Amino acid sequence: MTEPTLHEVKVPRIRQWEPWFFVGPSLLLLLAVGLYPTVFVAYFSFHNWTMGMGPPVFNGFDNYIETLTSSDFISSILRTFLFLIVTLPIELCLGLSIALALDQTRNAWLRRLVQILLVVPIATTPSVVGMLVQLMFNTQLGVVNYGLHVLGIAPIDWLGNAHAALGMVMMTQIWEWTPFVALVLSASLATVPQDIEEAITLETESFWARFRYIKLPFLRPGLVASIVFQTIFTIKTFDMIYSVEKGGPGDATQMIALHIERIAFRGFDVGLASAESVLTLIVTIVLAQTVVSFLYKDEV
Amino acid sequence: MAQISIDGVTKRYGATEVLKRLDLSVAEGEFMVLLGPSGCGKTTLLRMIAGLETPSTGRIMIGGTDVTLTPPAKRDVGMVFQSYALYPHMTVRENIALGLKLRGVTPTEIASRIERVAALVQIAPYLERKPKALSGGQRQRVALARVIAREPSVSLMDEPLSNIDAQLRTVMRAELLRIHRKTGMTTIYVTHDQEEAMGLGDRITVMNFGHVEQIGTPDEIYAHPANAFVARFIGAPRMNLIRLAHRPGANAIEAAGIRAPVPATLGTLPPDLFLGFRGEEARPGAAHDGEAMIEGVVDVVEHLGAQIEVHLRLDDGEEAVFRRPRGETIWREGERASLAIPAAHLHLFNAETGAALRA
Repeated sequence: MTEPTLHEVKVPRIRQWEPWFFVGPSLLLLLAVGLYPTVFVAYFSFHNWTMGMGPPVFNGFDNYIETLTSSDFISSILRTFLFLIVTLPIELCLGLSIALALDQTRNAWLRRLVQILLVVPIATTPSVVGMLVQLMFNTQLGVVNYGLHVLGIAPIDWLGNAHAALGMVMMTQIWEWTPFVALVLSASLATVPQDIEEAITLETESFWARFRYIKLPFLRPGLVASIVFQTIFTIKTFDMIYSVEKGGPGDATQMIALHIERIAFRGFDVGLASAESVLTLIVTIVLAQTVVSFLYKDEV
Repeated sequence: MAQISIDGVTKRYGATEVLKRLDLSVAEGEFMVLLGPSGCGKTTLLRMIAGLETPSTGRIMIGGTDVTLTPPAKRDVGMVFQSYALYPHMTVRENIALGLKLRGVTPTEIASRIERVAALVQIAPYLERKPKALSGGQRQRVALARVIAREPSVSLMDEPLSNIDAQLRTVMRAELLRIHRKTGMTTIYVTHDQEEAMGLGDRITVMNFGHVEQIGTPDEIYAHPANAFVARFIGAPRMNLIRLAHRPGANAIEAAGIRAPVPATLGTLPPDLFLGFRGEEARPGAAHDGEAMIEGVVDVVEHLGAQIEVHLRLDDGEEAVFRRPRGETIWREGERASLAIPAAHLHLFNAETGAALRA
């Protein structure tokens, strides 16, 4: 008997390319709005280019040296860190409290309502947030000073006083982003299987023990995600502060993103602004990576 | 170890009544099986004993104390969940240790208890592994170890063998019994598998639609089912129940292909009856005095290894199933056959109420 002939199976070329048709459009879009500007910025960070003052000229690391020796840049970076160090822990604590409270809520209707309310600050247009904040913190007309007045505290010049202004944008930042943390953590808490919650209630009544031994390990990925995202969002904070204070009074609320904007679109020094952007990007990546490598363990 | 009593417990979810005024008592050290089809309320009852659900009415006592409103952690009960509910982020050792640690057991005592239970349920080699690195059977042992190490006065098990394969299930069944004999823990075990219930239980509570159909030893339930539901539910193959009409005054019940004596001690019979008999208690051949006779056409013969299963089609269309030893060649499909059943193995049920008629 002769061996039957085995035919090579030929997959049509079009089938091999098929995945690219699906991935292609979004990939192109990502390249256009993500990768291209990054490359653009990286390229011009090595050039001396002030818009309207002739073509870009390569100048090596001059922009980086100028940036790193600029007290204005350094103080903006430090101010941004202060902003991050104050707001992030508060956002985490408040967000975790809200998530835990939601998790305990038996009333499904109430839980749904709170979840919807949590989306409001995230969904509100930053410029609208800015207008509302200006109104609420207005020295004469604002509801905040009215509240302080009721408590017997003298009115504060929120928009004019440097410290008060920084405090005000911190409070606004916390108001704007705590719900995001709360939603992420509440999604993490929802991953705790019901039988495991029940198993631990057979062991202990203590909320703290149940939190530490069961909920916290399940919260870990959500906490890491919150910290990483909040670090990134906070470092690049621009819109809210811009619409409230434009970095003022003076440079009291000038975070790094506002500083870059000032250099790029008011000084038109694209080269210098690009170098600052690249440095900020590096700092952000290093921070995020540090958080991930320290905190993230694939446990559950 | 403790005695458990359930007094008049009802559980409602909205308008649905899951348990209906249920009474049950479990003796100290007893292995009690709650058996019933899915949705009969057996798991709800177990969860109420654990404290994971609160009864709508009634009282639950453990060891003479009313625990109806006691939080689960204060009831001193251990539970093996159907899904095992092992803590996924902890090693086997940590899984067993957590409950002990939370109850203030000293570290040296914890270590020695873990050694003991690990040997008992044979998981010593896996103590440092996480649950996801274990097989189903190993996880089941860990869940069991977690309860045993705690030494609770009551251990509750919710279908613990349903997620492991059939072969391992028989092994684990024997092991559960061995462990129960050793620890003497009062155990309540929920299952829908009657074979498992018969094998494990000191007593079985057969439940259906939120109420108790019968409580008794496996033998009582098998030999003297209290009603048609229990008769159908217990035993494989299930008991044959054939609907018959009884003419008043007759000393036998008769139908197409059946003639069964009626003991005079039963008194007046209802007009509508089920005659019940188990296939394994019939023998081929003509009926002697006082035996029931059943006759029909052999419909199908199935070969099951050690036994053959014979399906007999009675003249009025009803079917009766018998198990006979392998190699019995008198059963030929399409031919008529008759069998005799000793009177002691006949069961009569009121077809309307389902209740067994007993002398």
